[in-house]
Amino acid sequence: MVSDIINVENLVKVYPGGTRAVDGISFSVRESEFFGFLGPNGAGKSTTIQVLTTLLKKTSGSVTVAGYDVDTDAREIRKVIGVQRQETILDGDLTGRENLTIQGHLQRLHGTALKKRVDELLALVELSDVADKRAAQYSGGMKKRLDLASTLVHKPRLLFLDEPTSGLDPQSRVAIWEHLETLNSDEGVTVFLTTQQMEEADRLCHRLSILDHGEIVVSGSPVELKHQLGGDTITMSFANSDSGIKDRSKRIVNGIQGVTKVLDVETGLAAYAKNASALVPDIVRLFDENEIRLTSISVASASLDDVFLQHTGRRIRSEELSKVDTWKHYM
Amino acid sequence: MDHDALFDVWHLFIRAGKKTIRTPVIIFGTLALPVLFLVLFTQIFTQFGNLPGFPAGGYVQFATAGIIVLNPLINAQYSGTAVVDDINSGFLSKMLVTPVNRPAILFGRLLNDTIMVLIPAGITLALAYALGVTVITGALGILLILFTAAFFGLSMSGLTMAIGVTTKSAQVVAGLDLVIIFPLMFVSTALVPYEFLPHWAQAFSNVNPFSYAVNAVRALMSTGFDWSTILAAYAVIAVFAAVTIGATLYQFRSVEK
Repeated sequence: MVSDIINVENLVKVYPGGTRAVDGISFSVRESEFFGFLGPNGAGKSTTIQVLTTLLKKTSGSVTVAGYDVDTDAREIRKVIGVQRQETILDGDLTGRENLTIQGHLQRLHGTALKKRVDELLALVELSDVADKRAAQYSGGMKKRLDLASTLVHKPRLLFLDEPTSGLDPQSRVAIWEHLETLNSDEGVTVFLTTQQMEEADRLCHRLSILDHGEIVVSGSPVELKHQLGGDTITMSFANSDSGIKDRSKRIVNGIQGVTKVLDVETGLAAYAKNASALVPDIVRLFDENEIRLTSISVASASLDDVFLQHTGRRIRSEELSKVDTWKHYM
Repeated sequence: MDHDALFDVWHLFIRAGKKTIRTPVIIFGTLALPVLFLVLFTQIFTQFGNLPGFPAGGYVQFATAGIIVLNPLINAQYSGTAVVDDINSGFLSKMLVTPVNRPAILFGRLLNDTIMVLIPAGITLALAYALGVTVITGALGILLILFTAAFFGLSMSGLTMAIGVTTKSAQVVAGLDLVIIFPLMFVSTALVPYEFLPHWAQAFSNVNPFSYAVNAVRALMSTGFDWSTILAAYAVIAVFAAVTIGATLYQFRSVEK
């Protein structure tokens, strides 16, 4: 039986000002799992991570990491976790090699074992050639890779990654993904990932939870969650953006057989249906009959972004839509 | 401190040392300030030495003791700004998710900054020697002078670190440091004999740890092993260091929640 490496029960965090950042969440992460923790800004993700990584005291609830209690055994937890934060954190005055070495020392590693491990990691993140240059001179992608490597020096059992590829070019992003997949599949490292990129969560995560207003609104594997939406997505935008038109359009689309759900989005409406492509002519005809002018209508496979929209009422990143290559434009 | 804590202090000391060596402005300040102080103060105030009642030996002999302790007073701001840098860059929180001993994060830096104080103190002594200044207590006296400068520097570094940990702002550290440095420096026996100070300044100088450190160094240079002056200085600096470093450790607990 696979055991839980993270176990959170009724976690509550209330800040001194009275802000209830996390409101009684419960979840668990299994050993060797790639777990996604998603949510809009301010949902409580960072607070949860800070509690799990022993940087912040919780208000109530029970949290164990690798079998240790965060309140009483923080020191033991710190020996088995690696933490990469959203912002790249390095000592720019030190070289790449020195950055990894100091992290090793802080984890109480030394001697030839540490030297060997540092060389191994420099090779893994392809920085061996520039290992003795100061980190301040590295490019953004190189810094991010070095930062990731610095969290791995002590071979952590559990890795916390907060937006590990934000701000990176697509090539560097894919390189990091591949490193993470290797770590997870070959070395069995459990990964706890937060991300704003649904493509990233979809590719990497075995299971994920979506957090909103300090509560978990849904959990499951990416496939299960997308399946629950009941089909593909039809996205529509209108010439006239007044809410009356939107409400009428919503009623019309809701009445079409096969449509399982219609949601408001920033640019218009999103509807979910099996065989969505086949419904497009009907939608266009009905809008024509009702003198509603569409400016665009398109169909895409359901994405995690749609799952996110359904459960939080927001798109996590509207620009992601344009990147989905399965879109077919009809107008 | 256990073995692991000492291991942490050592490696964080090495890190701080590398950072210091690689920051040209700190190296320039460390090397140039003692020369600047010695030349400026002894040129501008040199006539003081001719005033009736001025201690024997001339102004350069007198002021060198003040300048030796002035350098750690000025350089202490680097301790405060370094801890602010680590807080604001996130490097501190990166350290805090490791098993590193918490106080070692501060002590590694303090050790570096304390040792760095020896460089300007040594330069001042060497330059002053070239200008005819003597150290009456010889080699042991020179060692004690260096120790006094470093010990005083440690207590001042504690002060700037406490400000840094509390405010998390390098500007506040530099600004507050100036406000603190000037009264400590001028209302003291560093550049003017105690008897020449107005009464209110004498009263302040009596509780000014900077004056105590200067008096100890001056005794070692010009009077001899005047243990009552030297031990009084160490007692005052020890209390000052305990307060400033204690305040830093206390404030540090709020950074590490």
